[in-house]
Amino acid sequence: MRPALALCLLGLAAAAPAQVIVFRNNERWEVNNPLALDDKGKPVPPDARRAKFNTTFDKVERVSRAGGAEFTASKRLDEAVGIEWPAIAQLRTAKEEIQRGNATRALELSESVLRVFDKAKKVPGSPWIAAAIVKLDAIDRLDNDAALAAFLSALESVDDGSNAELRQKVQVAKLIQKARRGDHAGVVADADGLIASLDSADTLARLHILKGASLLALRRYEDAMNTYLRVPVFYGSQQEHLPKALLGAAKAFRGMDSPALKSQRLGEVANRYLRELVATYPVSAEAEEAKTLLPKEEREAAIKEQTAIKDAVVAPGE
Amino acid sequence: MAHPVSRTYRMAQAALFAVLVALAPIPTASAQQKPAQAQEESPTQKLWNEAEKLLAEKKYPAALQRFEQLEKDADKAGLPPEAKAAIAFRQASCLYLIAGTNKQASDWAKVEVALQKFLQNHPGGTGTLLDATNNMRGPARLSLVEAYAYQSKWDEALRDLDTLRKPSPETREEDRVLAFVMTAKILELRAKGRSPEELKQALGQSMNLLKQVIAGGMGTPERREAALKLVEVYAALGMAKDAEQLRAEIEAKGVGSPAELVRANAQRLEIGDARFQTAEAEPDAKAREELYRQALSSYQGTLRRAALSRALVLAVESRQQEVDRLVRAYATPSPEQQAAIDKAKEQLDEVTKLQAEFGGNKDYDAVISYRIGLCLLELNRPWEAFVAFRDIFQNSPGFEKISGAYYYYIDALRRIGRTEEALKVSKEFLQKYPDSAEAGAIALGLGEIRMEQEEFEQAITEFRWAKANAKGLDPAAVQEIDFGIVRALFSNVDWAKARVALEEFLQKYPNTPAKESAVYMLGLTHFFEGNYPETVGNKDKPGALTRYYKEFPNGTHKADVLYRLGVVSLNIATDTLFQQGVLDKDIRGPDGAIAIARMWIARHGNAKDEASVAQLPEVHTLIADAHAKKADALGRQADELDKKVRMTAAPAAKQALMAQQRQALAAKEEQVKASIDAYIQAARTSRANPAALEFALGEASKLLGGRGEHARIRDLYQELHDWDPASPKATVYLYEVVKATEKMGDSPEFRVRTERAQAEFGERLRLARERADGLERAGKFNTPELAAAKADLAKLSEDLAKALEVIEADRQKSVQAARQQALGVLAKAIGASIDDRRQQGSERLLSFLAEKLARRIKRVRPGQEPAPGAYTLKLAMADLDATLGVREGSGTLIAQARRLFAQAQLALLGRDPAQAEALWRRIADLYKPEELSPAILGTVGEHLLSKRDPRAEAFLGYIAEFHRSSDYADFGFAGLAELRLAQGKPKDALALCEEAVDLGIVMSREKDIRFAKARALIELGRFDEAKKELTFISGVREWRGETTSGCLYHLAVIEEKQGRLQEAVVLHQRNIVAWKRHERWVAKSYLASADLLAKLGQRDAARQTLQEMLSKDRVKDTPEAQEARSRLTRL
Repeated sequence: MRPALALCLLGLAAAAPAQVIVFRNNERWEVNNPLALDDKGKPVPPDARRAKFNTTFDKVERVSRAGGAEFTASKRLDEAVGIEWPAIAQLRTAKEEIQRGNATRALELSESVLRVFDKAKKVPGSPWIAAAIVKLDAIDRLDNDAALAAFLSALESVDDGSNAELRQKVQVAKLIQKARRGDHAGVVADADGLIASLDSADTLARLHILKGASLLALRRYEDAMNTYLRVPVFYGSQQEHLPKALLGAAKAFRGMDSPALKSQRLGEVANRYLRELVATYPVSAEAEEAKTLLPKEEREAAIKEQTAIKDAVVAPGE
Repeated sequence: MAHPVSRTYRMAQAALFAVLVALAPIPTASAQQKPAQAQEESPTQKLWNEAEKLLAEKKYPAALQRFEQLEKDADKAGLPPEAKAAIAFRQASCLYLIAGTNKQASDWAKVEVALQKFLQNHPGGTGTLLDATNNMRGPARLSLVEAYAYQSKWDEALRDLDTLRKPSPETREEDRVLAFVMTAKILELRAKGRSPEELKQALGQSMNLLKQVIAGGMGTPERREAALKLVEVYAALGMAKDAEQLRAEIEAKGVGSPAELVRANAQRLEIGDARFQTAEAEPDAKAREELYRQALSSYQGTLRRAALSRALVLAVESRQQEVDRLVRAYATPSPEQQAAIDKAKEQLDEVTKLQAEFGGNKDYDAVISYRIGLCLLELNRPWEAFVAFRDIFQNSPGFEKISGAYYYYIDALRRIGRTEEALKVSKEFLQKYPDSAEAGAIALGLGEIRMEQEEFEQAITEFRWAKANAKGLDPAAVQEIDFGIVRALFSNVDWAKARVALEEFLQKYPNTPAKESAVYMLGLTHFFEGNYPETVGNKDKPGALTRYYKEFPNGTHKADVLYRLGVVSLNIATDTLFQQGVLDKDIRGPDGAIAIARMWIARHGNAKDEASVAQLPEVHTLIADAHAKKADALGRQADELDKKVRMTAAPAAKQALMAQQRQALAAKEEQVKASIDAYIQAARTSRANPAALEFALGEASKLLGGRGEHARIRDLYQELHDWDPASPKATVYLYEVVKATEKMGDSPEFRVRTERAQAEFGERLRLARERADGLERAGKFNTPELAAAKADLAKLSEDLAKALEVIEADRQKSVQAARQQALGVLAKAIGASIDDRRQQGSERLLSFLAEKLARRIKRVRPGQEPAPGAYTLKLAMADLDATLGVREGSGTLIAQARRLFAQAQLALLGRDPAQAEALWRRIADLYKPEELSPAILGTVGEHLLSKRDPRAEAFLGYIAEFHRSSDYADFGFAGLAELRLAQGKPKDALALCEEAVDLGIVMSREKDIRFAKARALIELGRFDEAKKELTFISGVREWRGETTSGCLYHLAVIEEKQGRLQEAVVLHQRNIVAWKRHERWVAKSYLASADLLAKLGQRDAARQTLQEMLSKDRVKDTPEAQEARSRLTRL
């Protein structure tokens, strides 16, 4: 382990990861984590010295003993002025599930967190925002328009623009809604504005894909190609978006194809991208679609190539 | 409950292969909770809980014993299949863990058996019993692979992993990713103990596999595991930088440290640069490509400016927070604590400095784009390079290397075939950056693009423009541009101007490196003007070509010059060639040409360079031409002798002259034969020279055809066809093969036999006729002698007729046999392409075959039976099948579909459209669009559309989607537009038509596309545009017919929709009068006209219109006529 990393871990160790809810006058209540699970996946038994959430998650209650008697104090969660909460395992797992394409499970997990912090949405440090971002991603991947619309309207009341990531995700989600409504010209216009104002490579890659899809729907194939290809060229680190971009680019090339441009062999260019997609991202959903778009013979070759163990030219060692 | 994967995965990391995901020895919550929920524990549940407890306590043999007992009791206890599967799985788990402890191969064999048993007997796995999201089949399959590996059963292991790596709904994504990782590990294990090369190869394969996995991101534990494994592989391969970078990236993602991210990013860039530099120096193409790929991958993985800036801000913030925290925590620090504070401050300074440096680097994004673009160009990915360079112009116009970016952008544009855009950008560049280092190269490129397009006048303009506008061109660039102008003039066949320019150029640049080319071109300006004396000069002053021959004996154009000198010799009888040392004897004229040509073949005949290969047929043509010229001279000599023979009376002199004539003719025949041989040789060697091929082929065909040597024609064309049977030209050659084969049937032998018979009988007939005539002149009428003479004459005539009949019968037989042979040739060619769906020429050949067979069908009037023995459509169909050799249900799908297509074509040509339609329907019933070729899709799709068959959508849609550059692309667009109109979606129809027109997908269906567009515009109320379109269609003479009638009808509809009823009536009436043969639209016009007249209150006229309509034979049975009848009763 390198010294820098060791130091960092030491630092983390020094600040013990306890869950604290802060009320007015800096009154800090350590609370039990209702989301904590043991190795067997069972809820961790509550620590009697700490406060705990009530069953409807709108209050925290603390029991104290004095002179043999028990006193229960409670505070409303919406009265909190701050929340200090360590990383939540459910959200990490949810993000992983999104990566694996299991958006339903991710949605379940994010909702379990949202439920706990529902009354403390706007409290600074509330994990609600982080969970909302994950939920947005999950709904987005589930293509559930109704759920997206409902959640966006819920978010509007919470989003004060202070969380840049949430704001971006909301804007992207709204753009997705627009695209689904078929307002492709609107998507193109808004995407341009958003692209100019964002810096997150992940969001930018997504926006390009969204814009590319709208351009494709508008049959502006050349622009679509230019937009889609920016993803592999400039947002290559956002590997999870590449399959969509390659698929879109292939469709755009196919759209550009015409007898007048026969010499540019655009059909072949399109097929090359599809084959590359199948071979390079064999486990993606887009690879499956790419296979359906490939002519029969090329599809068979691509599938063969997909599972073949290829030899590599190894670069000389340094 | 935590998601089980993360927990079980942690367990798996401890396992030998780190993939035994679900063999966690901790019984899951669900498994324990279920029995606990029961009111009273059953003995089976008790036993299960006990086994699970033992397993958790790592008492594997004891646990195994309980699970075996459970298996025995399962049936008796009536356990559901999932429970039985769970027991089997746990047994295998126990065995696995025992094997892992004992490390005995025999134990792994037991694991193998147990896992196979589980997999075979429990196709649904453990359901949700052990885990809500995992039925344990995936982990079992992976564990089985592990068991194989421990027994060194590599083939079995890799075979199973091949299946696991394939995307399948039955394989969870986690398991599939792990299959990749495991394959990498097995490849390495297998290679252990083998040669270092084999180990390196295995590691290379592992690297590829793991890269594939992490290409999908590192967002899940299993992908991160793959990344860690890749770090190991990099290290084993000595790729230390890659290993370090990837490790840093994994760690950065793991702890989310912005500072680590920045560091990983810097390392990525460093690796990219190192790879790029190594690639530039790498001589091996394959290794170079791989290095560029690796450089590209590094550059593509780097963060862009905005993201990096943000990461740096966060890095500074986090470092600052760390310093603050330490300072706060240690108010009076110990020496160790002070060291920690100092270290943190040092790190803060480091990132702050980095942030400041980065802020000053404005070209960061552009540099990455530039390098990405270069890698992409090197990797022959011009489209992506195009996007990369474009980004620089759009977002970093002030980039330091902008001129270089332009240069490569133009290169990318040229490579993707966008020459016009390349020209535009070149000019833009020269205007913006006239003093740049690339100005010369780009200025030159400007004209070169036009030269490539063979637009020479524009090339001259571009060169001149570049010379005038590009400032700061160095002298070498100016000279190159000047030479470009000369080349363009020369290529533009402007000989006089080119000659002047060349002379000026040679004078201006006497030591130019282009001198050799300039002298050569100068010679050619004379040569191509036919000024042969100037071309070769004289004994005192050599012409430009002879000068070249002497001055540049090893020059690039030496072969061509020699050939040209041969052509000169053919055309002028000069001794200069001898005097200038080209020929070692004074041979002139055609003989000189033949001598030079033979010299050329001896010197360059086996050369492999492009120019010599292309010139070889021209040299053979020169020989052929020389022999032909000699033959012509001998022919003229023979003609002269013939005249003399006729004018000479003395028999001896006449005989002598006749002997000379025969000699001349024999010599001519020799020359003609030599000429034919040389033309054939020219054709056979002209694969790389289409112009020479066309000429030689024409000459050879003409000569051979005239001599009836069809077999040689056939052989020649067959050879040309066999060069590339898939090329469009091959179809043309094949037609010639077929034609020649057919003509072979009517061989000259029959003409000779006929002539011989006619000559033989002619003399006898003449004598017999003379005898009969003599008898008549002698007045011996009604005498037996005259009767006998006449009888002889009649018999002789009869015998001649019989002899000719026999010859004709033989000829017919021979023709028939040849036809059959021709069909065989055609069948062979079809056979070569019938199985390949992409061979678009196949349908053309099938249609050709159908035409050939259809021509033989005996036509009969409708309802009449053909004469017995006549060649019918049925027989033609049988012949078609026999010729194709494709039987019902045999051969590839496309071959079977093509057979049906050919049958349909034959049915159409055989005037049986109903059968053709039935065959098209059959194609639609039997095949998916992706199994058919564009020609079949188009034909069948249009048929389905005409029958309103919903399958038309799929057929036509497939063409529009997948065959947009085929000759049938417009079938798809036209058909789909019709469909959309019929579906009441004019907006969609219009979009399709506009797309087709915009992209130029309008060939044979342009009329239909425009007509559909006009109707869509009417539906959308855009009358002016619709009118314009309809008027355009009506104005195209070639399209006159039914659509013109449709246009008139719709023009009337537009008038009506705009409330101009009277004008609408006039247009309908015009349609009725002008296009009465096209009842489809005329019937509609009649009906609409009557309606409009009724609306205008002219009920009588309306009635008359309907009555007239119903009196017309063509109209009275249309659906509109039915409607007319009903309206008539209401009027």
